[in-house]
Amino acid sequence: MTTRQSVGGFALLALLLAPLACIAATGWTGDLTPIGQEDWNAERAAHLLERAGFGGTPEEIAQFAAMTPEAAVRRLVYHKGVANDLPAFDHSGIHDAGLEPFPASRPAATDLARDTGESMGIKVKPAGNRRLQPVANKFFYWLRASRLETNRVAYWWANRMLATNRPLEEKMALFWHGHFATSEEKVRDYRKMLKQNELFRAQGTGNFRDLLIGVAQDPAMLAFLDAGVNVKGAPNENFAREIMEMFSMGVGNYSETDIREAARAFTGWNFVDLDFVVTPEKHDETTKSVLGKQGAFDGVDIIDVILSQPVASEYVSGRLYRYFVRQDLSPALRGELGARLRESNYEIAPLLETIFMSRDFYSPPSMATHIKSPVELVISAYKKMGLTEVPGVPDFNDLTEALGQKLLYPPTVAGWANGKSWITPGLLLARGNFVYDTLFPDINFLPPDRYPLTDYKIGAVNEKLALGMDVTTATKPEAKEVTSMSMQADRDEDFNTRLASFRGWQMALQKVKPIPRATAQLDLSAMVLGAGCKSAREAVDYLLARFVSVPLDAASHERIAKFLESELGTDDLTAAASFLEEPLRTTLHLILSLPEYQLG
Amino acid sequence: MKTTSLLLKPWTRREILRAGLAGIGASAMPLVFSRVMAADPAASNRILVVLEMSGGNDGLNTLVPYADDAYYRHRPKIGIRLEKLRKIDERYGFNGGMAGFERLYKDGRMAIVHGCGYAQPSFSHFTSMAYWHTGAPNSGEEYGWVGRVADAIDTPSTPNFIVNIDEVQSLAVRARDHVPVVFDDPEKFGRKGLYQTRPLLDRAPDMDADASASKHYLLEVAKSAREASQLVRDAWSGYKTPVDYGIVPVQLPKIASLIAAGMPTRLYYTSYRHNAFDTHVQQSDLHQRLLTYVSDAVEGFMKDMERIGRADDVTVLVFSEFGRRVPENTSLGTDHGTANYMYVIGKPVKGGHYGQPPSLTELDEGDNLVFTTDFRRVYASVIDGWLGCRDTEQLLSGKFESFPVFS
Repeated sequence: MTTRQSVGGFALLALLLAPLACIAATGWTGDLTPIGQEDWNAERAAHLLERAGFGGTPEEIAQFAAMTPEAAVRRLVYHKGVANDLPAFDHSGIHDAGLEPFPASRPAATDLARDTGESMGIKVKPAGNRRLQPVANKFFYWLRASRLETNRVAYWWANRMLATNRPLEEKMALFWHGHFATSEEKVRDYRKMLKQNELFRAQGTGNFRDLLIGVAQDPAMLAFLDAGVNVKGAPNENFAREIMEMFSMGVGNYSETDIREAARAFTGWNFVDLDFVVTPEKHDETTKSVLGKQGAFDGVDIIDVILSQPVASEYVSGRLYRYFVRQDLSPALRGELGARLRESNYEIAPLLETIFMSRDFYSPPSMATHIKSPVELVISAYKKMGLTEVPGVPDFNDLTEALGQKLLYPPTVAGWANGKSWITPGLLLARGNFVYDTLFPDINFLPPDRYPLTDYKIGAVNEKLALGMDVTTATKPEAKEVTSMSMQADRDEDFNTRLASFRGWQMALQKVKPIPRATAQLDLSAMVLGAGCKSAREAVDYLLARFVSVPLDAASHERIAKFLESELGTDDLTAAASFLEEPLRTTLHLILSLPEYQLG
Repeated sequence: MKTTSLLLKPWTRREILRAGLAGIGASAMPLVFSRVMAADPAASNRILVVLEMSGGNDGLNTLVPYADDAYYRHRPKIGIRLEKLRKIDERYGFNGGMAGFERLYKDGRMAIVHGCGYAQPSFSHFTSMAYWHTGAPNSGEEYGWVGRVADAIDTPSTPNFIVNIDEVQSLAVRARDHVPVVFDDPEKFGRKGLYQTRPLLDRAPDMDADASASKHYLLEVAKSAREASQLVRDAWSGYKTPVDYGIVPVQLPKIASLIAAGMPTRLYYTSYRHNAFDTHVQQSDLHQRLLTYVSDAVEGFMKDMERIGRADDVTVLVFSEFGRRVPENTSLGTDHGTANYMYVIGKPVKGGHYGQPPSLTELDEGDNLVFTTDFRRVYASVIDGWLGCRDTEQLLSGKFESFPVFS
């Protein structure tokens, strides 16, 4: 058994390390002709897994290299037939019907309570001090609980990216999340964010028209772009602008008049709780003129008018190309890709198949030149480390946020910028630090979902109340903070906002389940020994081949090999087996701190 | 004379005196011009700090034209009454939360430029902000205006010449020849790693002539990161200030620490992030709170510059990517609009009003202000008048006449 495994491992190592000639690839730039079987190899299979997923382990690369390129690409693109038994999101049970519709602001919540005697399912106290306090508490409870739960959704999604048998499904969901960017910051309802995520997963490689309509009628998008105030006689232009500019055509292909007219077509579109609704009396049924066409359009009609513009297919296919291949896209190639998308009636999967099969995709300018986004970097690193679960330490959300990409919180409706903007001096250092924190967990780590101490000095309020201090004293601002609360020096008040903030956190923590806090369960020793490595040099060669897409120069290679040998005190891995893990981890940290590691 | 005419047109003599423009008689004008246009070696010590208020700040409720009845007709519910304002003259008052801005203006250290915008305005945060970042509306300009300024005034490029304090690099600072230093938390601006890995970890990367464009960029940034991280951490750990920056300091203490430490940086860029000022719904309370944060932070920063002895060398430019629509909407907020104020703030600034206030009665077909000042005139003013680069025409791809906001 051991011998057979070693032989298998060595075969994998040999396969990965064998020099691979890129014959004839130099003429492939811009060529959509499919790659032939004679040009298919492990290096190109690795490239496919890197771009159409989150990278491959040596076993996966070998498996895909053994297929024909057609079979490999179709296995990824037409993934609905691939079994993928992953758990659904495990709700904490934080929501109740009284919360709908959630008030626009705390003043709105308390004003409603004052006016009607009830708000968010909470009745006003008949008598006594702080009669509205339970209402204020509920408001802050939901803000905090929804944020914590959204972080759980992001963590769940990260686990899907890592564990899925359909990597392109998750990669496309990530793409569409950046394309149709909505943020929990404004939506303030994790359920809407989860529902949208599931829409992207279900329809991500389906039909773009269906997806666009789904997004237009999606509660998260409707909430994010202020659909509720888009009514007949007073149209709100947010959604109409974004659907043309960011979602389907790009800048310069419509006029401001088109936007105003289109906004009228989307009037009356709204949501109630998690359901899309059209309010007939708020819908403008009169004639609109959009992109040169006239009619009593509704929102779906507008989508059809937009998609009838050739520029829409070019814009969408260009976005996909830049995401999966490279930034450099000639007008001719963009036109060709757009034409194919139009000819297929906006079916996404055939376009992806074309892209992943194309020689252009395997041309030198396309390979190992993509700067990984933060999420790609983290998930692909975990995958190549052989993890089957996203570690809870370091916290996935804090980590990716520090690197510039917090899932479910895109910075604007334009999503995240790409490529070079991920790399600044500080962010490059942080990328190496993520590896360090994963391989050498921080013993001072505090779970951010259980220690919300950064907000409004809540920790101090917590302690003061626990020691029996009255609310007014316990919530008195420090001298340097001047807020409206300082005007409420007496005990008699309708509510206390700081108290509500504190109670909101307390109630949220009681309800929201914790994110599991396991450290990264990896075993580098077993990995390199299992691959048949005998010497420090072979171990370094293996790690570089496994983790890094860009070949290192000989001098760098030598420095790292010498480092590992020095740490081990020997070049013989067998002799060092009992203490091998830590030197391997420090070596891996060095490797993954290289600038080259950011490329895939 | 044309500039003089433009400057004088909207003001009565009384208002000119009150606005602090007294002393600029005809006899002084040639002197002012000659100083502005002269080559300026003293500019080599000057620092520009740019503060972006992202989301499209509502200028009309920031600096309220209370003397214009049209303002209240357009904003019957969210218009701010005179008694709630911080009056600065017979026409304008700052939002009630802006004690800091009021003081800066009354001390004569704030230039308010009216009606800033551009032709064919975009109402998209992303697009309009990209235009402001590049200084090139309706184009696909690749580099930011701050980045192009750095490339123009600093050749060969000085490391750490541009600092951008944000989570992600702003397009405004993207340069051909300079790599901006971008960080958010100075204490975390460094590389972790065990002692024995340090020789390799902290090693300067070898440049590779055959590298792809992506790899080349990564190597350049790795080199920059190595040098900058130590400087930034040392500056922040050595920085102590008694100055109160308010509740949300808007990154300005971090900038102050670098200036105090003598960082060679001359261009700083930061923002109040995440479209915070996009107040479509229930605007009033939120907007006042945000304005208080910005106002307190900027005033604190100016006090800090006095404290460390650099007040003569530092100017702050504050802007947003558009204003808001003049009429309030039905949700007690405002929708995306067009023209807005820009603020140039600092001891070297000749405070007062500049540019033509846009009319509140002659709006465009979308009920938006018609801009009266191309925003690039303000960029040209700081580039030429403050940073000493006279060739703004090439830099900004057009001729934009400077305002005389610097002595």
